[in-house]
Amino acid sequence: MKLPAEWLKEYCDINITNEQIVTQLTMAGIECKLLDEPDEIIDISLTPNRADCFSVLGVSRELAALNNRHIKSDQINQTKIDHSDEIEIKIESPKDCPIFMTRIINDIDVNVKTPVVITKRLNSSGIKSVNIIVDITNYVMLETGQPLHAYDLEAIDSKLIVRRGHNKENITLLDGSIKTVDQNYLLISDVEKVLGIAGIMGGENSGIQPNTKNIVLESAYFNNETIMGKSRILNLHTESGLRFERGVDPSIQNHAIERASKLINECSEGKNGPITNSTSSSETPKRHPILLRSKRIQQILGITIPNNKIKEIFSKLNMEIKEQDYGYSGWMVTPPSFRFDINQECDLIEELARMNGYNNIDEQNKQGEIKLNKTSTRSIRINHINNLMSGLGYSEVINYSFISPSMSMMQEEHINTICITNPLSVEMSIMRASLLPGLLNNLLLNLKRQHRTIKLFESGKVFSNLGTSNQEKEMLAGISYGLRMDEQWITKLETINFYDIKGDLEQLFSSLKINTKIQYKKSTHTMLCPGRTAEIILDGKTIGYIGELNPELSMDLALSEQPILFEIDKNILKLPKKIVHHDQTYFPSSRRDISIIISEEQEISEIIKVINTLNIKELKNIIVFDVYKGKNIQIGRISIALGLIFQDKSRTLTDNEIDTNMSKITKKIFATFNIKLRIE
Amino acid sequence: MTINLSDLLNDALNEIEECKTLNNLEKIRVKYLGKKGHITSQLKKLGSMKTDQKPSFGQEINKIKNQIETKIKIKKIELKKSSIARNIATQSIDITLPGRKRLLGSNHPVTTTLLEIENIFLNAGFLIEDGPEIEDEHHNFTALNIPENHPARAMHDTFYFDNNLLLRTHTSPIQIRSMEKQGVPIKIIAPGKVFRRDSDLTHIPMFHQVEGLVIDQGISFTHLKGILHEFIDCFFEQQMELRFRPSYFPFTEPSAEVDILSEDEKWLEVLGCGMVHPKVLDLLDLDSEKYTGYAFGMGIERLAMLKHEIKDIRLFYDNDLNFLEQFK
Repeated sequence: MKLPAEWLKEYCDINITNEQIVTQLTMAGIECKLLDEPDEIIDISLTPNRADCFSVLGVSRELAALNNRHIKSDQINQTKIDHSDEIEIKIESPKDCPIFMTRIINDIDVNVKTPVVITKRLNSSGIKSVNIIVDITNYVMLETGQPLHAYDLEAIDSKLIVRRGHNKENITLLDGSIKTVDQNYLLISDVEKVLGIAGIMGGENSGIQPNTKNIVLESAYFNNETIMGKSRILNLHTESGLRFERGVDPSIQNHAIERASKLINECSEGKNGPITNSTSSSETPKRHPILLRSKRIQQILGITIPNNKIKEIFSKLNMEIKEQDYGYSGWMVTPPSFRFDINQECDLIEELARMNGYNNIDEQNKQGEIKLNKTSTRSIRINHINNLMSGLGYSEVINYSFISPSMSMMQEEHINTICITNPLSVEMSIMRASLLPGLLNNLLLNLKRQHRTIKLFESGKVFSNLGTSNQEKEMLAGISYGLRMDEQWITKLETINFYDIKGDLEQLFSSLKINTKIQYKKSTHTMLCPGRTAEIILDGKTIGYIGELNPELSMDLALSEQPILFEIDKNILKLPKKIVHHDQTYFPSSRRDISIIISEEQEISEIIKVINTLNIKELKNIIVFDVYKGKNIQIGRISIALGLIFQDKSRTLTDNEIDTNMSKITKKIFATFNIKLRIE
Repeated sequence: MTINLSDLLNDALNEIEECKTLNNLEKIRVKYLGKKGHITSQLKKLGSMKTDQKPSFGQEINKIKNQIETKIKIKKIELKKSSIARNIATQSIDITLPGRKRLLGSNHPVTTTLLEIENIFLNAGFLIEDGPEIEDEHHNFTALNIPENHPARAMHDTFYFDNNLLLRTHTSPIQIRSMEKQGVPIKIIAPGKVFRRDSDLTHIPMFHQVEGLVIDQGISFTHLKGILHEFIDCFFEQQMELRFRPSYFPFTEPSAEVDILSEDEKWLEVLGCGMVHPKVLDLLDLDSEKYTGYAFGMGIERLAMLKHEIKDIRLFYDNDLNFLEQFK
């Protein structure tokens, strides 16, 4: 809400600069700033609880309280009554509309020019001048916070009815838009037609026209719960709707209609009828006294405010305060009609804190006893995994959790995805079921930015629909593309391949002490290349995938090389509970190499597995130190060189012992697999 | 006989002295001390000697052998040293050539900032709690004293799914879930992603928050002010001037925004906070008369932007290496 500073000062006689006004209000919870325009305008952002400040009157009241002043008397002499014409009013649901006041003003001149003082202030507040009557209703709304509506009397058939809408009832509004409403909406109608959506906008058919002579002014109090949320659903945000849904002062309707009448009489004459008042006093909100306990103030704020200060603050805020003897220090405080945000003791305490100044509350640095009862390893775990990944060359990215339908289609799990019903755009409408499409996007962007070595990782949640419930799973995923290292004189330009990334994962797994339990199984995945994809298995459960991008996707994305991707369940990446130290051995190890020729189809891990089943306790490690195919090797076959390392904890092994073990091993693998010894 | 031996010694010593390479030195060693070397063959004569001649000849020949061995040892070190000296002179490298650079990645600044914040609060005895990103209306709104149609729901433009599910608009639902789980007293922070249906120059539809919650007997606004001031000082690693000004959140009362004073003397909003509204505790059947507490919430991107002088919030989610690599 924008208000000219001079208008505020008209109501509140204070001798302070506009900058001071802005600071005072901001520090009292009415956040505002001064706009640098020729006329100094204060731009106020109100929190939803302070609807009482939606007017010059309201803000002035606040300023007056902050400066120990009273606002200038806003009493209006009753306007003259020239005739006795009234319009019949029928309130079908007084709960929705406790107060409804109308007045007929006849013989107005609607074509008179609005006085400059009014148009200027309206303009400053961002409201366009329309005609004298509409301008005055808007002006009084800004001034008092009470939205008013003016009807062309001739357009109303017999009477004004305040009622709930019927199912699928249509209405054409002042702005020309057509809205469909139902029983949840409160409407103003006559016997024939709908004249407007109560509190939000009037209808096209009953507005003030250039030939309008006689008008009906309406000043009502609608239940804010009835109005709440309707503007949002209709996408119809009006000044009136905003005020009614947050709540207007239920004691100001008469003042507002008199004030508007007076201004209309001054500007375009007119003959006033009496004010027709349909008030249901039982439905009109009333303010009740609230108990405020001295010890509770101390408990919440941690400071003591002297009793006389407390009384002073509440009386400045137009609250009635009565000291009561409950056997402890306390008061009954009754807020004014316009402060319906004050309902409980804590609301009163906030008022005290606010007026006393938050900055006058001490800072207590003793935060009670500090217990180290549980330690959280969350930060350590994130730190560990992130630092390891960045050490391996990956830069962390964070992508939005929602993706486009085309990205979603790439995903392995693209069937059970979860869709947002009101996405910002279709490009951000599906909750990701995998981190991989996002990483592919990041790859494309960075290629566009001319990077040649790209290694990215992300950790975050993915989402899937399990029928009756949704699943959120934390994943860790990576993508790698291009050169192994940046181009440099000392290193050959080499492109990364599957084994680079598998090696990264092996490092990650071994830092978490699970590498020896991980198995890789040749597998398929919609996003990955058949034959170059592995399922990663831990304790019999699939925990993720690693592979080259499916070449068809690479073609679609115009990639010249194959990115390698992986995605694993992050929940299994737990830090080892404790690392147990094993006795080191100082006796020398011996190595024996063996070169074998096997079928290309033969997975080496099988051979190693079979060797391990022999349970030779001196066999410490097996390394694959050469893989060769080509010259001198039959087509369809491949040469593998294994280095077997033997070591004992308590002594140096003899050649004899090692030879015995070697012959056990060769015998076993020759018996199990179709293998030939390679002899140079 | 003795003349023979001393000639032998002199010859050997001379040859060693003149020797220029380690290879030749080895040849000399073999010539004198090898299996068929001159000294070795002299030693072999010992067997056929008369008993009374043996000791003196033996002593003599061993002495000569030791002398030659020592001389060779000294010469060897001398030759090695001069070879090192020659190598040093010829094998100098250009130390200005760049070193071999392996790839080094980086943490996303949001993660780094998040971890920094977590560490500060961990040191103050807070525990870290987590919660789902797809929330229900109850935990995201109703339990936080934001009933249906409440204007505060409009402030949070919300992404919805079917079945009254939504993307959490703040990390505050974790407060509720944690209190449901462990009751009070409680002292937690809850970091995570949050979502708002908002997108323009200064708003993005997803960002990160850290929520804090402390509830116990005797916790007041003074404690809230104390912890947040200490936190801000720790985070920015200097004494900061800050102000608390009244604000509104449905789940806290009194509520406040915290502003810090920037170097150019402007107040910048950094976080929102307040005393937990008794209604929130009442809704959980917790004793709001006995227990009081505070809650606070801050935007990670906002804090990262202030700390690293990042001007545009959208940069966080471009994931451009030119941006990310600056945070190595």
